[in-house]
Amino acid sequence: MKRWLATLALGLFFNAAGHAAGFEKRASTPAPALEAQDLKGAPKTLASYRGKVVLLNFWASWCPPCLREMPSLERLRVKMAGRPLEIVALDSAETAEDVNAYLSRMKLGFPILLDPDGNNTRRWKVFALPTSFLLDAEGKVRYVLTGPTEWDEGEALQVIESMLAGMPVQAK
Amino acid sequence: MLLFRMLLFSLWACAFGVRAELPDYQVFPAQGEHLLLWVTSERGRAEPEVLAAEKLARQGVEVWSLDLVNAYFLPQLPSSMDRVPQQDLTDWMRSAVESGKQVTVYTVARAAAPVLRAAAQLEPALRNRLCLLLMYPNLYTVAEPLAEPDYLDLGSLSGLRVKVLQPRRSAATPWLPGLIDHLTQFGATVAQEILENLREGYWARESPTEYEVAEGQRMDAMFIKELNSGGCK
Repeated sequence: MKRWLATLALGLFFNAAGHAAGFEKRASTPAPALEAQDLKGAPKTLASYRGKVVLLNFWASWCPPCLREMPSLERLRVKMAGRPLEIVALDSAETAEDVNAYLSRMKLGFPILLDPDGNNTRRWKVFALPTSFLLDAEGKVRYVLTGPTEWDEGEALQVIESMLAGMPVQAK
Repeated sequence: MLLFRMLLFSLWACAFGVRAELPDYQVFPAQGEHLLLWVTSERGRAEPEVLAAEKLARQGVEVWSLDLVNAYFLPQLPSSMDRVPQQDLTDWMRSAVESGKQVTVYTVARAAAPVLRAAAQLEPALRNRLCLLLMYPNLYTVAEPLAEPDYLDLGSLSGLRVKVLQPRRSAATPWLPGLIDHLTQFGATVAQEILENLREGYWARESPTEYEVAEGQRMDAMFIKELNSGGCK
């Protein structure tokens, strides 16, 4: 009986630890500035996406966990078509050539931004890849996730749905 | 009185029990003037590192290879590096410097923390004779998204020559200037080199690129270059 209880306690501990390693809720933290360019060289800031929930994903083409979660980001884009969610993948400290080499193998329908000098990576204090931020329609950070996930299911989808549900109804 | 004597004897025995000892390390002997102290990362010693040490020894560079997780029966975790007895490492470095050879210490990732702290405990005259090569050192106490990074207190590194080897393809690369500033603040003289087209732990990755495999097989050449060029500034 004692052994069973110990096993249960350990299970609960690891379950709790696993949960803690997931999405970290933030108390509506003001977002740092985003000053990047897309692959065509057009400047982009957060203002470009204001009014939508934004999933900002920091990644790199050399990072295996980043590449593992990319298909699920694309599936999320398709699943959420027509809803006020913008997925933005910001490549950290690589050249456009590096990114294009990856995109020639993996077709992605969401915007890819470049941060070749790592300024955005430093401004957002990103120390591991991938790191993702969920921003509300006012551009405030509501959730942070360090590490990969399957974006179109489970906790990730629940968090995104909860943010979309919390959006004010837009007047037609 | 007998009880008191036994108590004194126990204290004396305990004092010997906790005194620092040299950690268990692997020696690749050579007759040349250079001695490389190779402290592997928190992941332990990988086969390519052993092969590189053997090649170095054949080229006249003696290598003392220390696997901290194996030597102290620690889990393969970054946090294990904070449990390494500092005095052991300091004594190990001192014995290397006192061998009369030109000593370079090379370490990787979080293992840089106990190595730097051990160097800080050395007498300044001995520390001045050391050169440290740090491969993507991890010296954070806190590194969380949206928060300023916080670094470990290392102690005085005055007189210590350090060179940071940073693989380009690493999340730590954009943070290299802050790391260099931190080491400099503790008194070290710091140089840096970006290793292009490489990722952290390139010599032992699960899915390495062809270039990483090739570079992993020629680590001995990298060390020979560093040792012959003075390595550190």
